[in-house]
Amino acid sequence: MIRVPPSPSGRGASALSDILMSTQSRNRSFKDAFLSPGLGLKAAVLVLLTALVAAPLLKVFGATLAPGAWSAWSDVLASNLSRNLFWLPLANTMILGAGVATGCVLVGGFLAWLVVMTDVPFRRTIGLLATLPFMIPSFATALAWGSLFRNARVGGQIGFLEGLGFSVPDWLAWGMVPTLVVLMAHYYSLAFTVIAAALATVNSDLVEAAQMTGAGRRRIFLGIVLPVALPALVAGASLTFAGAVSNFAAPALLGLPVRMQTLATRLYGMIEIGQAERGYVLAILLILVSAFFLWAGNRVISGRRSYATITGKGGRSKRFALGTARLPLFVAAASICVLTTVVPVVILIASSLAPSSSALFSDWSLHYWIGASDPAIARGQAGIWNNPLILSATGVTVGLGVTVAFSASLVGLLVAFVLARFRSGFLSAAINQISFLPLLVPGIAFGAAYVALLGAPIGPLPALYGTFLLLVIAATAYLVPFAVQTGRAVIQQVSGDLDESARMTGAGFLRRLFAITVPLAIRGLSAGALIVFVKIVRDLSLVVLLFTPTMPLLSVLAYRYASDGFTQFANALTVVVLVISVAATLFANRLQAKSQPWLQS
Amino acid sequence: MKRMMMIGAVLVALAAPAMAQDVDTLSPEALLTLAQKEGKVTVYSFTSRIARVEKAFEEAYPGIDLIGFDMSSTEMITRLRTEAAAGITNADVVYVSDAPVVLSDLLETGLLKNYVPPRIADKLDTAFKSPLLAQRLSTKVLMYNEAAYPNGAPIKNLWDLTTPEWKGKVLMVDPLQRGDYLDLMTEFVLRSDEMAKAYEALFRKPIELDDGVETAGHQFIVDLFENDLVLLASTDDVNAAVGKLGQDQPPVGFTSYSDRRDNEDEGWALQVVNDVVPSNGIVFPALLALTADTKNPAASRLAIDFLMGDDSETGGPGYAPFYVAGDWPTRSDIKGHPDAIPLADFKAWRVDPAATATIRKSVGDLVLQLQ
Repeated sequence: MIRVPPSPSGRGASALSDILMSTQSRNRSFKDAFLSPGLGLKAAVLVLLTALVAAPLLKVFGATLAPGAWSAWSDVLASNLSRNLFWLPLANTMILGAGVATGCVLVGGFLAWLVVMTDVPFRRTIGLLATLPFMIPSFATALAWGSLFRNARVGGQIGFLEGLGFSVPDWLAWGMVPTLVVLMAHYYSLAFTVIAAALATVNSDLVEAAQMTGAGRRRIFLGIVLPVALPALVAGASLTFAGAVSNFAAPALLGLPVRMQTLATRLYGMIEIGQAERGYVLAILLILVSAFFLWAGNRVISGRRSYATITGKGGRSKRFALGTARLPLFVAAASICVLTTVVPVVILIASSLAPSSSALFSDWSLHYWIGASDPAIARGQAGIWNNPLILSATGVTVGLGVTVAFSASLVGLLVAFVLARFRSGFLSAAINQISFLPLLVPGIAFGAAYVALLGAPIGPLPALYGTFLLLVIAATAYLVPFAVQTGRAVIQQVSGDLDESARMTGAGFLRRLFAITVPLAIRGLSAGALIVFVKIVRDLSLVVLLFTPTMPLLSVLAYRYASDGFTQFANALTVVVLVISVAATLFANRLQAKSQPWLQS
Repeated sequence: MKRMMMIGAVLVALAAPAMAQDVDTLSPEALLTLAQKEGKVTVYSFTSRIARVEKAFEEAYPGIDLIGFDMSSTEMITRLRTEAAAGITNADVVYVSDAPVVLSDLLETGLLKNYVPPRIADKLDTAFKSPLLAQRLSTKVLMYNEAAYPNGAPIKNLWDLTTPEWKGKVLMVDPLQRGDYLDLMTEFVLRSDEMAKAYEALFRKPIELDDGVETAGHQFIVDLFENDLVLLASTDDVNAAVGKLGQDQPPVGFTSYSDRRDNEDEGWALQVVNDVVPSNGIVFPALLALTADTKNPAASRLAIDFLMGDDSETGGPGYAPFYVAGDWPTRSDIKGHPDAIPLADFKAWRVDPAATATIRKSVGDLVLQLQ
């Protein structure tokens, strides 16, 4: 490469250097390729990601190759067990992934379009509500679904609707349909967040210019909006696909009574009963299967040219007028939001107070919240306020969420920056692939992998199992893709010109990062940190194996209560998780208020 | 000076095993003095009733914090193995079922050690003292709703469960998620001869095995699944589904006999099916053990001593959570609960951990294949 000295002549020199640079890059020699600008940085990021992500996964792979573990491969793939162990769960998993991804992009995209680009009433409220379902743990939504739709298939415990006298068919109470709906209700806000962030960067100057030159809505949509939003649509689809295929709680709670298994529930079951090798094999297969879809999605994004559309963009002045459709579209959006946020929360709260789930609104009692231990109720479990374990779990959970929000965002920022600036080359491709890997790995398998990796001393380093540090490392690695994905859509649009100019004038990497990239990308970054915090606070599958009694976490305690049949305690704890998550979101929104031009009218 | 310290260290190291021996023989009073210095004891328990034990223990022995942690036996076994591999010992006392796996994977590998409180050693059969101390006997047996079937259990023969009348109306917890249920399935296979006789008694013809099915026990499991066996996530789900009052023709299910104790609190009418051939399920021990590297050797022994009950007829506060109809004390001097069927009259099979361990995995694979 060449270095152009700082030039007082400004633009002219910069344009010249651009030409020089591009000529130079075309004639790049072998030596240049190895001394390419990002080499040191890329190598450092790759080493970091390898340690965080690849090492535990290689360990899992290695575990299936150990002598005596080999047969797990044939058990899973070619034996009389494989139909139930792999093929049927695979089919269910694919249906869930495809269904949820489609539904989430449609619903999330629809809401994002309404909030960002139209004059629908109560845009702010809809925008806020649409980000909330992601904070409700999917097992909470699943439990809420059960409280409503549970039918007599499993006898006694009927849900609220059957309690009211309606007859609920099996397909609506159990299995694929409820799992799809619950997962969509959970993940659509992820698609919304990503798509809304992208739509907000649509340059209104361009839109106005198009309108003035007579382009129709359809033309503007296809020519301006869609190209900008497409990476976000694909990112939203791939994120929700990955989320759905690795989700454990919803299919476990709603599928098991009709023996609907997914790869995630199968692999959890295998690991829980000590058949870890079979579980690992399933984890590897799940990774391979989903990797194909992410690879395809990635090709759509990275095959395109860059999207340098905002450097300092014009303010939004015009929104699409919805006209007569304004009210019906508002009602549709409001219904989606209410059904996926308010309704599950109301059910959660009611069932944390109601002694019986079939009569959610009768005989309310605060026992499950503040009661002292009473041998007659729930086997002497004291209310959650009187339980020291839960108080310490709250501290650990929040501490973990904050720590990981910082650590994951930092790693995510580094990765997104490197990927956006240095797209080509083997190292970038490797960084890209590795940073996505955790998405494909069900949390439970990732947790198991980390136990395998750090559960025993490595050389002079002590085993980290049971420590806060292990939770931080594993959670950071696991959530990096989310920090990368959300930051990435924005960081890609921070113009390369500014960075190039700064580099030409001799600014170092850190200087450029904090003087140019960070300020321009801060909205995406805080959204990423927010998602990471909320995800870790309400995460269950990752931490359920990493969790030890001396390091308690709220979500695991809630799940334990739920699986022990203490629904009220579980729901009370879930409400605590919700309050923390929602408070965090509101706080973050407040911080961000000044940089949300798309919400200003 | 340095040499003195080294000699001292060697002496302490040499004395350690001897001290451990001594702790095993100490009386509860002597243990208490040492335990109060330790200040706490952590118990991994397979039953949520540990919450009540915690309260009673802390009332009986102020100054010692009992930290109870409730998890399934299956999960506990995995956790103990993982913690041992990481070189950490979180638990001091283990209260666990699933003896076939515990004995082979935890005791034989040296993760657990046996402790029989000297105070009650002569009140236990040998089988309940070794290889591990058994505190009580628990069950996974067929239960029905006695309010919906006032004339007695609707099942007289286990093979009834495979008939169209009970299609989709037999419940249990997924045997692959709860080891006790896999032990139950394994028992059907181990008792294949009895299962074959029962089949003949019901259908008046010898049993014919499907292709690839080895025994009558295997065939029963196959037929049960083909009759739309419903698998749930926890025993309380089974209890509620089977026992809830006000049901017309409720299902039956395999669960713990002792869960009857919650009938009044929960609005259930659970009752055991005992007049049934060849059996209603399994009886198995609830085991108590020390972790090999417990950091609180006195408090952990005191906790086990406490859990084994005092010298009253009902075992006192330590045993109170377990003095319920459906759990039988292993101590010969604690009387069985008056509301329960005496163990001698109870139809269930007694689990043989060693025999179960040999075929458990293959039965697990069969269940996996059928799901």
